[in-house]
Amino acid sequence: MNDIEHTANLGSSENDSSKSVAIINSKAPYSSSMGKDALDVALIFGSYEQDVSLFFHGDGVYQLIGKQNSMLIQLKDYLKTFSAFEFYDLETIYVCQKSLEDRCLTDRNFHIDNAVVLNTKAFSEKLHQHNIIFRF
Amino acid sequence: MPTLAIMVTTPPFSNLTVTAIDYIKAAIAADIEIIGVFFYQDGVMNANKLITIASDEYQTIKQWKKLHSEHNIKLHLCYTAAEKRGMSDEIETMSIDESFIVSGLGELVELSTQADRVVQL
Repeated sequence: MNDIEHTANLGSSENDSSKSVAIINSKAPYSSSMGKDALDVALIFGSYEQDVSLFFHGDGVYQLIGKQNSMLIQLKDYLKTFSAFEFYDLETIYVCQKSLEDRCLTDRNFHIDNAVVLNTKAFSEKLHQHNIIFRF
Repeated sequence: MPTLAIMVTTPPFSNLTVTAIDYIKAAIAADIEIIGVFFYQDGVMNANKLITIASDEYQTIKQWKKLHSEHNIKLHLCYTAAEKRGMSDEIETMSIDESFIVSGLGELVELSTQADRVVQL
């Protein structure tokens, strides 16, 4: 979809129940409840059969890194629920390559396997294809 | 008339909430229909009637009530987020103001599908 089509779609979506939603995760997993709050929103939109994509950007990429043990700091492991994404039809997951590089996380040892790593331009383009953007 | 849904995530003592209120007032003045405001995360605290803001400060909670009474703006609350912050709609321990509707995230999905645009603040 090009930009012009996208702009046209925004204004005429009054009766369109299949709007696409992007949820940006921009915070590290355990220092705040942002990641968990974003997850709850994603699962609800998924269970209402909405078209949802997840974006991981900035410190948000830490939410994808495997072998984290949140129990060491007495926190429930909400990242475990990411494995249920497929069940909720949340199959579109994009990760910002620049954010990974900035944090020396280029090994891609993610705990989910369908995350697609994109360069800044492609990441931005994918984001622009969505009607609604939430950011946590 | 274009329609707008708003998600508010900031608490009543934050100046960012004043921005949200100003934004909604500007939208109303521009003939944009606000189909609902959804309060999530710390935003739910805007519905806590036990919170007192110093009298010489901007009264965010009163402003929300005013938006509801004067413009019939629907104010939806995520109950899970509210419970986490010690808020309740049970009779004995009632802390949620009557201007707010106790809802869940499903309401956010509804608002998102109905509104021309959704803005998170």
